[in-house]
Amino acid sequence: MDRSEKLRQRARELLEKGEVVMVIGSGPPSDSGISPVLFATTPEQAENLTASTSCAQNLANYLLKVRDRGKVAVVARGCDARSITVLLQENQLKRENLYILGIGCEGIVENGRKSVACAVCRHPNPLIYDEMIGEPAAVAEPDPEVSRADAEWEQLSPDERWERLSAELDRCIRCYACRQVCPNCYCPVCFVDASMPQLVGRTHNLSDNMVYHIIRALHMAGRCVECGACHRACPVGIDLMRFNRRVAKTVRERFGGDAGTDLSQPPALTVFKPDDPQEFIR
Amino acid sequence: MKHRLITRKQLNELLDRLAQEVCLYAPVRDKTGTSWAEIRRADEACLDEVNTVEPAKGFVFPRCEVLLRFDPQGNPVEPEPPPQQVVFGIRPCDARGIAFLVKFYTQEGRTDPYVRARREKTTLIGVACTRTAPTCFCLGVGGSPQGSEGLDLLLVELGEELLAEPVTEKGERLVADLPPAEEKHLTAAEEQRKKVEAEISLRIDTRKLQELLPGLYDTPLWQTLALTCVNCGACTFLCPTCHCFDVTDETVRGRTVRCRVWDSCQFALYSRHASGHNPRHDPASRYRNRIMDKFYYTVEQAGMVSCVGCGRCIISCPAGIDIRQTVGTVQNSKCKLKNEK
Repeated sequence: MDRSEKLRQRARELLEKGEVVMVIGSGPPSDSGISPVLFATTPEQAENLTASTSCAQNLANYLLKVRDRGKVAVVARGCDARSITVLLQENQLKRENLYILGIGCEGIVENGRKSVACAVCRHPNPLIYDEMIGEPAAVAEPDPEVSRADAEWEQLSPDERWERLSAELDRCIRCYACRQVCPNCYCPVCFVDASMPQLVGRTHNLSDNMVYHIIRALHMAGRCVECGACHRACPVGIDLMRFNRRVAKTVRERFGGDAGTDLSQPPALTVFKPDDPQEFIR
Repeated sequence: MKHRLITRKQLNELLDRLAQEVCLYAPVRDKTGTSWAEIRRADEACLDEVNTVEPAKGFVFPRCEVLLRFDPQGNPVEPEPPPQQVVFGIRPCDARGIAFLVKFYTQEGRTDPYVRARREKTTLIGVACTRTAPTCFCLGVGGSPQGSEGLDLLLVELGEELLAEPVTEKGERLVADLPPAEEKHLTAAEEQRKKVEAEISLRIDTRKLQELLPGLYDTPLWQTLALTCVNCGACTFLCPTCHCFDVTDETVRGRTVRCRVWDSCQFALYSRHASGHNPRHDPASRYRNRIMDKFYYTVEQAGMVSCVGCGRCIISCPAGIDIRQTVGTVQNSKCKLKNEK
């Protein structure tokens, strides 16, 4: 039995027995090549589930939408499960209301190429799950091209980095797709939407684009699981993963660990430890 | 107006000349495909892609339209008038989008002076589609890969030559000196149209939708459909016909501007009242609004479906939502309701 068939079978069983009210997974791909998220509430609907890892979405995002409906099963790759972990750590979800169907991920393919987030993925397999469907995936060697580009970025002067950052973010149309697809970006009112007082201007300009992206990056520090959903969602192709990787690297080097890999450890920036590096405070 | 024939060389000369005289915009290559930019020379234009990532609506309805300006002493300063501009390489679907915007914003008794002024100063040179993307469905909503609606001049590529179809006086003036096209050129263009149209299979019965949608306002269907939607504004910002705006005042270094900026009905903030009440408080009502608006409200308001089938909302949707499927589901759901009665 192939993995998709096994997934469908388990989804059917869970729904038939009433163990869950819904199974969230990936459906067959649409014309844009993206597999839309599938919400199965009946065993018949579960027939369209696929265990393909081509769903560009982080499925944890949808758990927030249905968290008041009861127990929900979710198909989770490594990154989905890491986001779930962050949401559990932040008390946004209840573990007993989740049934995690883990799958090993071979990476999301976009336009014939592995998504840049997946090209350097260190955690293709879920670290928390209720059951694994199929075999775990092997951790692939990171794409040397991405590592090389990151190393080059590090060599740039602050002025050059600022210039490149400006050129990249100037193209942002502020559709907020990056924010909306991010499971760990769940504030009821985002600072950009605050209107009394208004914190960020609404015209299209670099300064406000910068404010949005830099504050978002800082809010995500230690919480971003580098799933790349925002990068794939951007309709104008802004290289958001470059910033995410950089922020994650800083967190890793200073505080240790990757976001969402250890349920018992709260996200790095939510705790203070006496031995935290703080040489920048003088 | 007579069809003319223009060679590639003549076209390049025309564009080079226009670039000297006015602001000339065309699709240019960038890392994600092609985008609209001002060009100085004809060879900077790139027509290799089926369409640009962003639509051309900004030429008549810019993302940020300055309505008023104040100097640091608080005296009003007249905003600059819009520039004379020529847009080359616009596809028929996007031209129809502009036709919609102009129609919507220049109605009897409620004409928008900004959109009208920009359209008057703009010359639109369209280039017909020679191929399609799987997401194209202009035919399904009344358009065509060789449609000329909204354009001043339509060009149809026929190898080394192009068939030029003037649509307005403005377009006619650009090609008045060129030789008339022969019957064989018209036939070749017609064959090309048939070939490209054959690639687009989908049809949407927009008239039927118009009848169905008012009765579907309260169906639970929207809740189901909207579950996938993440409520970002990618579809609306990339839509050639989405026309909503917000007005905002900004002060930078003592200079205040009042701007009209694009807004999106997919954002909660869009419909939130000053009291805090939000009539479209949940994602489903915002999702419904987008579909209702495209296929029902704007038909009532401006006599035109506000979807031109460019497929950008399908391409840009991070959740993989396909408006054709949504429309299909909506149509079928009502059929079921009818049968049940």
